[in-house]
Amino acid sequence: MDLQLPIFYFFATILVAAASLVVTLRNPVKAALALVLAFFSAACLWVLLEAEFLGIVLLLVYVGAVMVLFLFVVMMLDINIAQLRSGFGEYLPIGGIVAALMLLEMVLVLGASGFDLQGMPNPAPQPADYSNTRALGMLVYTDYVYPFELAAVVLLVSIVAAIALTLRKRKDTRYQNPAEQMAVRRDDRVRLVKMPSEAKRESGR
Amino acid sequence: MFDWACTLPLAGWACDLYAEQRLLRIGLGIIVLVVFCILMVLIMVYAERRLVGFMQLRKGPNRVGPFGLLQAIADTIKLLIKEVIVPTNASPILFLLAPILVLAPALAAWAVVPFGDQLVLADVDASLLYILALASMGVYGVIIAGWASNSKYAFLGAMRSAAQIVAYEIAMGFALVGVLMAAGSLNLREIVLAQSGGIHQWYIWPLLPLFFVYFIAGVAETNRAPFDVAEGESEIVAGFHVEYSGISFALFFFAEYVNMVMIAALSTLMFLGGWQSPFGGEVTPAIGVILFFGKMSFFLFCFMWFRATFPRYRYDQIMRLGWKVFIPVTLVWIGLMGGVMFFTPYGYVFH
Amino acid sequence: MLDNYLPILIFLLVGLGVGTALTILGRLLSTSRPDPQKNSPYECGFEAFEDTRMKFDVRYYLVAILFIIFDLEIAFLFPWAVVLEDIGVFGFLSMMLFLAILIVGFIYEWFQGALEWE
Repeated sequence: MDLQLPIFYFFATILVAAASLVVTLRNPVKAALALVLAFFSAACLWVLLEAEFLGIVLLLVYVGAVMVLFLFVVMMLDINIAQLRSGFGEYLPIGGIVAALMLLEMVLVLGASGFDLQGMPNPAPQPADYSNTRALGMLVYTDYVYPFELAAVVLLVSIVAAIALTLRKRKDTRYQNPAEQMAVRRDDRVRLVKMPSEAKRESGR
Repeated sequence: MFDWACTLPLAGWACDLYAEQRLLRIGLGIIVLVVFCILMVLIMVYAERRLVGFMQLRKGPNRVGPFGLLQAIADTIKLLIKEVIVPTNASPILFLLAPILVLAPALAAWAVVPFGDQLVLADVDASLLYILALASMGVYGVIIAGWASNSKYAFLGAMRSAAQIVAYEIAMGFALVGVLMAAGSLNLREIVLAQSGGIHQWYIWPLLPLFFVYFIAGVAETNRAPFDVAEGESEIVAGFHVEYSGISFALFFFAEYVNMVMIAALSTLMFLGGWQSPFGGEVTPAIGVILFFGKMSFFLFCFMWFRATFPRYRYDQIMRLGWKVFIPVTLVWIGLMGGVMFFTPYGYVFH
Repeated sequence: MLDNYLPILIFLLVGLGVGTALTILGRLLSTSRPDPQKNSPYECGFEAFEDTRMKFDVRYYLVAILFIIFDLEIAFLFPWAVVLEDIGVFGFLSMMLFLAILIVGFIYEWFQGALEWE
């Protein structure tokens, strides 16, 4: 069934359009949302390539997690767009040269025989009960255990870095601990002092 | 009659589908699932109001139709003809798009839910992962709604909601790992089949802590009471949908209830043996579906019960529960399960 | 395998379609009488002051970063749990080492107070 072809073109068109929107939209939040759409279409293309597990993980990790962070950042930082755009003309030549070089490199690599349709044919269709996840799992935790453990170390470093960079105690916040407030007992706050109800009037005044 | 169309480029697939009548079957399946979702939401709205009313010694809706049964339909019509107010300075397209983006994944997740051994629209291998991925996409509707409204309450509610959803998604994912270890498959149908043989084979027993973590995380993930700080009316009026009215609000509401039914369905499939009978043995598909609905209704009842019973959690308590209680509990249980499976002869307990 | 994904694709489009159709239907059926007071953002009866998109507590970023890391961990745990029977003790121990390294990070977070919400 050649249904794959129209679906491929459908998602490829969305992907290219969304990617162009990412760099052309002026509003950073809308650009980030366009990037979400680009990731989503890319995930659909991966599924078309029979990479079921990787496609869904792309959704789960990039769309579901990484882009949430991106959105948090661009939504909540005050980005002055006019100021950002002021140097546009100044940096255009050098930016253009870098972009042209990158394009040339990609054409050289992807255009070479290694990546053409003969070198990289469409993967053979898998039977319905084939488990992509299982095939991946059989390799990652045994044959590729060393890179796998390295990934853990990389993640550890990123945890430590994230905390070191962002976590600081703010001194100006007034902070109450509701748990402590709840746990307070009468004796902590009130001291009952026994005293006579009236000062004794000294006689003879 | 339309044979000539099949010779057009790129059109051959349509004819193939037409010939196989696949499209017809898929279309029918989708219609059945969408109607199922709509009916469930209508029933839930009515049942929740009646039930919470009963628990609080009130009557609940009792005027529209016999026993107030038509109340939910009346509400739907009312919401449909109410004005949708787009606040000034809001981004109108994103504002109207947000509820659609919440609803679409909530509906599409049903494609992989098996109602019986053969009753599933799309029997993909990684169905559980697919549902998790779609659930994680629901957060965008919330963030976009909060941002596009250009209102402080909406924005604050969206941020709270997003942070809460992501925190509980982790706990949920870890709880699912235990189920996968026991079943050895990501496919929901196979997970249910792995629990066949009667009530003692259901995963709720060996995975009891994970079951509680999963269900409570599910309640938090759908922003339901007692974890509804995102819309805590005494603090931030209505959270991310404070500016929404009319049909756009109804879509948010609809999606929330569809998600609730989804959590109940997943809990049933993964911990209560799905469509299987508690006494073991084969059941006919019709009885299987009834059993499935019966088990699901129990969880839906719990959602309403929680709402009527528990006071709202404080935000710092919610975050603490997600990160400091659920994640350690699930990690310990995963390690324990693996240890028992490999180093003791009692591994069968978990299968 | 791809055959199984066709209904999902169609369902996603239907889901978007249902939402869009209802939104349009609502627009057609409902009245629309805009009014500056009605359309102003809700602010407890005050005129809105300050920009809405304010700076936020850095803690939200930290939660998001930690979420990414744990989400990746889940992505690694899923295939492992599925093939656990087949990869044997070695596969089990390799994941336990992986988790042990990350639990170090988790404990570090905990004692740095990154999980506290003030």
